[in-house]
Amino acid sequence: MKIAAIASVFLLILGVRVFLYYQNQPHFSEGEDVDLKIKLNSGPKISSNRQVISANLGLKHLLIITSFLPQYHYQDNLKISGRLRSKVLKNDKEMFILYYPKIEKTNPNILLKLTTEIRQKFIDLFSRTLPKNYSSLLLGITFGIKEKMTDNFLNNLRITGVLHVIAASGMNVTLFGGFITAVFGFFLKRQLALFLSIFGILFYVFLAGFEPSIIRAAIMGILVFSSQILGRQRLSSYGLILAGYFMILLSPDTIFDIGFQLSFVATAGLLYIRPVFYSSKRIKRILDTSLVGEDIATTISAQAATLPILFANFGIYSIWSIMVNTLVLWTVPMLMIIGAVGGTLGLFSDFAGKIFIFVSFPLLFYFEKIVNLFSGLGGIVAIGNLSWQVIAGYYLLLISLIYARRTHKK
Amino acid sequence: MKKYFAIGTVILIFFAGFFSYQFVKFNDNKLHIVFCDVGQGDGIFIRTPSNKNFLIDAGPDEKIVGCLENHMPFWERNISVAFLSHPHLDHFAGFNYVMKRYNLISFATEDLNNKSASFQGLLSQLKDKKLRIQYLYSGDSFKIKDGTRFSVLAPTKDFIDKTSPNGQIGETGEFASLIILVSYGSFTALFTGDSQAPELSQAISDNSIQDIKILGVPHHGSKTGLRPEILSRLKPNYGVISVGAHNRYGHPTRFTLDLLNEFNVKTLNTSKNGDIEIISDGKNLQVR
Repeated sequence: MKIAAIASVFLLILGVRVFLYYQNQPHFSEGEDVDLKIKLNSGPKISSNRQVISANLGLKHLLIITSFLPQYHYQDNLKISGRLRSKVLKNDKEMFILYYPKIEKTNPNILLKLTTEIRQKFIDLFSRTLPKNYSSLLLGITFGIKEKMTDNFLNNLRITGVLHVIAASGMNVTLFGGFITAVFGFFLKRQLALFLSIFGILFYVFLAGFEPSIIRAAIMGILVFSSQILGRQRLSSYGLILAGYFMILLSPDTIFDIGFQLSFVATAGLLYIRPVFYSSKRIKRILDTSLVGEDIATTISAQAATLPILFANFGIYSIWSIMVNTLVLWTVPMLMIIGAVGGTLGLFSDFAGKIFIFVSFPLLFYFEKIVNLFSGLGGIVAIGNLSWQVIAGYYLLLISLIYARRTHKK
Repeated sequence: MKKYFAIGTVILIFFAGFFSYQFVKFNDNKLHIVFCDVGQGDGIFIRTPSNKNFLIDAGPDEKIVGCLENHMPFWERNISVAFLSHPHLDHFAGFNYVMKRYNLISFATEDLNNKSASFQGLLSQLKDKKLRIQYLYSGDSFKIKDGTRFSVLAPTKDFIDKTSPNGQIGETGEFASLIILVSYGSFTALFTGDSQAPELSQAISDNSIQDIKILGVPHHGSKTGLRPEILSRLKPNYGVISVGAHNRYGHPTRFTLDLLNEFNVKTLNTSKNGDIEIISDGKNLQVR
């Protein structure tokens, strides 16, 4: 009863906050002169003589068309002034366009400037060391940096259901944390190893430029893998719910961010679905002894939890997805370590960084070949529109299955 | 822990294998010339028998990078000389992407400017990398130790002054473009950029230039590039046209294709054949 009361107070506060946030959104109209501050959430699309930047203006989409130079980058903070043009799209949605506005680059603070510079150094170093698709893949896996790859390969990643590895999700952080705990745990006490791993994750957050998506991913990642180690599942569940709650409270837009949705739901999946596999002694033994058993359990748990989100946002799903994920996920923590260590070394010595990054080559080669192989096999399920009833039904079913399994155990 | 040790070992073995494979594949002591399929534009990669890399033009966009990756070992990042035949977008814009991934040791082009923001951007990038631009004129040449020679046949200073008196390249009409002859043993290949018939005729008027093996067909096969007297002198075995499929200029033109046909030149086209690689040991040549 007490918990219910506290929960309803919390929910009420959240409701008021979200209502006020959207009530106070500024309104814009055609022909209006605007001064905006924008942080780029994706790199501009560059053609041979211009750049197209996508952003949000209030609740509408904004395109900024500007000259080829100077080139802007993902995460840049821009001060933009110009006159709005509006355009109605085929689906009746309105969109704003700014043609060649005045753009000024601003630097928010020293710490962010430092990490932006470091990230740029990583991009330079990786690009000068590995082939294009490999360097973009490694930058994505390690730091969540979105660099261009060939359309073909990007599409293959999407249809085989492994695009999430370049999105800096809680899953990556969980795998990373698990890996360093395993390494430290080999020669240190468990508690100490856990502490060092959390420290490692925090350092990683710094390297990745304090990007909100990575901070979120790190918080959730720490929750999951510490629960795995300490065996205190309930504590982590509260942590997850609180973390998600405050993230939405601070910035209500977060809830529409696919990265947040995936991180949150995948983390919940790891917390609740994964233990189901380990509840049966027989399955547990099989998982523990096989080389990729852990990854299979992880993949299935995360996929079961995120399936509707993947469908709704990407519209396609490959029947090979679980297979491909099982085959490639074990490389992710190693690639993250190689990327993070190689990148850090590269800040001090270009040569040492390069040599270290080369170690990732065979893993990336393997990753690419698996993805390209399975994307060519077909087996793609396309779904046009997913109604909210179906999504709600799916989650209700999932929750009741987990609940049934638990009470059964007791 | 055992698991990661096993994986580490597999990685090392694979790495050694892959390294050896690429080492053998790309260090065969032969001259390789690749007309990269960069769409509408020019981008030619040259790897000499002693494994020095050269680039003549870089196409309009990032596609050139994929071509370089496919034709040199993954650990090599140096390009000895990057030539730019002339400052037009479909020849230089790719250098922006090449520079992000490769070290250009020197950059050479003709003494012409282009006011466009994209070319000025390239110049400022070169400046950032502290690369001095070498301006080439007809008569310049150099030979590297393995015997590969690069000779600049055009333009002359007079020709540049006549066609672009203000030092800016024109978008249409007559403008100067580097013409480069690459020779190795008895193998010769002529790269013509976007040159037009008068410049090309003048460039090959020297008696030593005849009977070449490979002709990079001028200006993507436009009708202003070739004349019967040029082909009767050069007698190329192969003519390579670097062009994008369904481009808006109608390249390559019927006129040029018919002319090449008339002189029994085997014609290759990047929009149909993709990357075109020509390999020579100094005597024979092989097309891939």
